[in-house]
Amino acid sequence: MTPDAPPATPRRLDPRSVALMAVRKLPSMVFGIPLIATMSATGRVWLVVLALAAAIVSLGALWLRWRSFTYAIGADDITITQGILTTNRRSIPLDRIQDVSIERRPLARLFGVATVRLETGAGETDEGVLDAVSLAEAERIRALIRSPRTATATPDIAQPAPERTIFAMDARRLAQMGAFGFSLVWLAAIGAAVQALGNFFDYDRDQIERTIGAAPDIAAHWMSLLTVAATLLAVLIAGVIAGFVRTVLTQYGFRLTLADGRFRRIRGLLTRTEVVVGIARIQLALVERGIVSGRLGWASLRFQTLGGSNDAGGRQDMAPFARPPEIAAIVTAAGLPAFDPQPLRPVAPGHVLRSALTHAGLPLVAILAAGIVFPPALFGLLLLPIPVGAALLARRHHRYVLVGDSLQVAHGVLAQCEWTVPRDAVQAVTLSRTWLQRRLDLVTVRVDTAGARGLHRPDVVDIAPAAAARLAADLIVTKMKWETERDSDVASVHAPLTEPTDERTFS
Amino acid sequence: MPIAALPPMLPLDPRQVAVLRVRGIANAAALLVAAGIAEVALFANDIPSGIVAGLALIVAAWLILLAPRRAWQRWSHAFTTQELHVASGWLTQVHTIVPVARVQHIDLAQGPVERRYGVATLVLHTAGTDHSRVTVPGLARADAESIRDTIRARLTPGPT
Repeated sequence: MTPDAPPATPRRLDPRSVALMAVRKLPSMVFGIPLIATMSATGRVWLVVLALAAAIVSLGALWLRWRSFTYAIGADDITITQGILTTNRRSIPLDRIQDVSIERRPLARLFGVATVRLETGAGETDEGVLDAVSLAEAERIRALIRSPRTATATPDIAQPAPERTIFAMDARRLAQMGAFGFSLVWLAAIGAAVQALGNFFDYDRDQIERTIGAAPDIAAHWMSLLTVAATLLAVLIAGVIAGFVRTVLTQYGFRLTLADGRFRRIRGLLTRTEVVVGIARIQLALVERGIVSGRLGWASLRFQTLGGSNDAGGRQDMAPFARPPEIAAIVTAAGLPAFDPQPLRPVAPGHVLRSALTHAGLPLVAILAAGIVFPPALFGLLLLPIPVGAALLARRHHRYVLVGDSLQVAHGVLAQCEWTVPRDAVQAVTLSRTWLQRRLDLVTVRVDTAGARGLHRPDVVDIAPAAAARLAADLIVTKMKWETERDSDVASVHAPLTEPTDERTFS
Repeated sequence: MPIAALPPMLPLDPRQVAVLRVRGIANAAALLVAAGIAEVALFANDIPSGIVAGLALIVAAWLILLAPRRAWQRWSHAFTTQELHVASGWLTQVHTIVPVARVQHIDLAQGPVERRYGVATLVLHTAGTDHSRVTVPGLARADAESIRDTIRARLTPGPT
């Protein structure tokens, strides 16, 4: 790609990674043994010979793969060569690398190695994975990629820039977060497990009924009530414990530091992960409040970055459980404007009617249809005030404003979201109107940003057409900024992600 | 009913109707063949013959005679040298605005039918997620080329 780059010496992965791979492959080999056993009923000796041969062959294959895998970090790019028969050579320009994450799973920690992931703007997740290198080498690679291009001539680890801890979670905070880690998913999983043990409870009840004898009906009644209550309580407690354990496993030792324009996040108890997020790559900020924890003043902060993230939801967790001032500090450090609820404007009044119609309309039709067949189903109409009430509240909580250089959107009644989208991060704006929205004279403004994943978006739903057109026009006025900042570092955020060759094809 | 304060939108090139009609004929032909096979397969049954073929004929006539013009009418576009506007959609109407400064690269595509009628499809790629590909079908080739050239000139400012 860059022929004038000085030739960098190719390196191999850490030799310990062969052993690591072998251990990782062990379970599949163990499962393979019974297969061989059933196929060769001739004798035990052959079985052992076969197993040994298989082990040697796969070890040899692992060693060959290790031998053929090299990487070299040049002045402008990192080249990864792999493949035993067909050699695959991949070159990733250094300035295309968005994040360098160092991951240490329990097994890798045992072997003293780490996995380095290079994330680029492309959708692929496995674009550049070095699995695995020694911890010192991982640090060296990160320092090389993080350092300015001029430092590549002397590739010793640059003097470690002073790192400032922006946010950290101590044991107390972790415990508080774990207390809210309870989730319905865990409850469902545990409920299914309890269901499987149902026979056990039935047996118990029969036993007790027989021993009491005199009042079996009452006993059965009370016992079944008791078992139900006890089961529910057990499930609830198990759910809380499971949520707590999961939170501790993923968030243990959470630490967010900032040094020369890059956030570094370290967390995890067994699997220790380290993720680097360049400030220039940040596209937007999202603050979320849970149904219960949000009422108690806790919130979480995520950044959407170019190239996405491996975190749940496709955005980088920056502070999973924090107080508003702590979140404001991180947002300010990232150079984003603070979320200010004061100037927010509500969406059009028609939003109430439309959300009521879309949320209550279908249930209403379903209940009426059921009522024709089975009249008592009409009592379901009593439930209709719930979606209607939610629709009434929805407008109070769905607000937006374009203030300064960023779009701010708030929505959600119980679980609340606050988006801060810098105008520079807006890639395209879409005004869409469904059949119903045209009848009510409403428009939804969708803002397309880079690096998003999933359905969760900073959309402004249901505003008046004139307001929508004005918002769209204000959002896309980026020309001047773009042109003045073209050569600066900030502009590289929005500079073409694609290879320069793509542009050259037109000229 | 256009949203006020947006630039006046232009229709697609009228020749796009012919392109859509050719596609409609291809779809109708496939439909009629399938209906013919169904008729033969159902011949032994008690169902009066001709129902499937009759329905298929109606749909085919709609595909060839009415649908192309209606589909053409639903699309509109505008290019203001700062941004490209594309509107389309029937039940849900979508109006997408792509600032020229956000365009990563541009494609100009022309299938055999489009070439025959002198129209082209413009494809803008952005770094976004939902609208990383914004397409404008049925532009006159010259128009599409001039839009492409204008955007290209802004992608690479100055001679390099």
